[in-house]
Amino acid sequence: MTENLRDRGMDCALYSSYSSPIATVTLLEAAPAVSPALALTVAAAISAAGLAMLMQPGRRGLRLAGTVIGLAGFAMLMVEVLKRATAGAPEGGFPPVFPVIFGFLAMVGAVRMITSPRPVFAALYFILVVIATAGMFLLLGAEFMAFALVIVYAGAILITYMFVLMLAQQSPVAGEGDAWYDRVPREAISAVIVGFVMLATLGDAYFSPAAQRFRDDTSIVSARAGEQAAWQRLESMPKLLLETARKAEPKTAAVVSTNFDELSNRSKNATLKVTLDDGTSKDIALDAALLPENSRQVGVDLVSRYPAGLEIAGVVLLMALFGAVILARKQIELGEDERRGIAGMRRLTVDGEAGGSR
Amino acid sequence: MSNMMAQTINTLAVTDAQTVNAALLVSAILFACGLIGFLSRRNMIIMFLCTELMFQAAALAMIAFGNIHHDISGQVFVIFILTVAAAEAALALGLVVLLYRRRETLDSEAWSELRETA
Repeated sequence: MTENLRDRGMDCALYSSYSSPIATVTLLEAAPAVSPALALTVAAAISAAGLAMLMQPGRRGLRLAGTVIGLAGFAMLMVEVLKRATAGAPEGGFPPVFPVIFGFLAMVGAVRMITSPRPVFAALYFILVVIATAGMFLLLGAEFMAFALVIVYAGAILITYMFVLMLAQQSPVAGEGDAWYDRVPREAISAVIVGFVMLATLGDAYFSPAAQRFRDDTSIVSARAGEQAAWQRLESMPKLLLETARKAEPKTAAVVSTNFDELSNRSKNATLKVTLDDGTSKDIALDAALLPENSRQVGVDLVSRYPAGLEIAGVVLLMALFGAVILARKQIELGEDERRGIAGMRRLTVDGEAGGSR
Repeated sequence: MSNMMAQTINTLAVTDAQTVNAALLVSAILFACGLIGFLSRRNMIIMFLCTELMFQAAALAMIAFGNIHHDISGQVFVIFILTVAAAEAALALGLVVLLYRRRETLDSEAWSELRETA
């Protein structure tokens, strides 16, 4: 009861502090009514055209036009995101701005990453994408994975990429700028078409009315099962179960039994049967706020449901370690070209000639 | 202070279907961007970076669908995605350094003679 009141109080505080009407919502309602799938397709097509123009090297005017058109298509995509994020939000409530902000950052980062002619900047933009995705994870209630993502991706994998970039980057020749293979994309237009056909397919699979209805139904049906699974994970940790019982009833001496197996019955709430210090037994009701936190749940699920997967992941990492060591140990004294020249074979024209002619 | 932070995170974590939809859309866009980048860039390091972008998109979709089904396994699978991404980064970058030392260029087309003869 008190928990419930507190939650509602929080919500009220959150909503009232943002109670000023936000202009975007009225703007959305004024937009002409087209089917969501069509709107998504048109937005995707426009941003595809923009992206294709943006990827053409050397022509500043075209790139500028591509930026404008791309931004327009992009704005339409954002409106779709916004519609998805605001439809069904509580009346007068504050529109969920966080998904929009994180989504915007992720998309900008991704587009700049694949269009930037400088590899180091591409890697830095990817870090932006990682951070925005981590924010998305937080919104979806995956706190542990959000932090793990920032630590493992931004902290470890991207640093490795940076090392290799600096190891393998040719020092730019004065007056020449970036390497030609970074400036000139390969088959930009076909690549963009393939990518946006993919996007349209995914969008159709995710947002067709049938899929939407299926998701809504699933969400309602499985909410109860999800809560039951969370309680059962708590039950598999006896020490934590005792601590939780002590949080609800400080005089608890031992936990006797739980009703977590019967929770699929909708009318039941989680209760614990405990013995108190003075030897009497008592039933205590548990609130959902007492569930173990996200990182504990992920850990328990990982080791109890997927032990084989955990072992295989370990083997994969070990093999990657061996592979990297073996690859890196291979000595190459001369460039292949020099060796071919010494052996009297035709020399390969790699960067020098090809780069000059294109 | 930490209590307040926990409460804020709890409030944020109360998601509705709309947040999940936004996340799915962002994930689709990220995947498309990664695919486009992989097909159109010539720099081998950027190509592998684009596969990492696609991994990100897959992880985001996993978490969004896990949220819909109220199943924590979606998050557990992201751990496996991270593992595979780390293994891939280690191997791919070792390979890229090796290839770079042979041809002194990061251009993937320097290796196009490996393809089938037309």
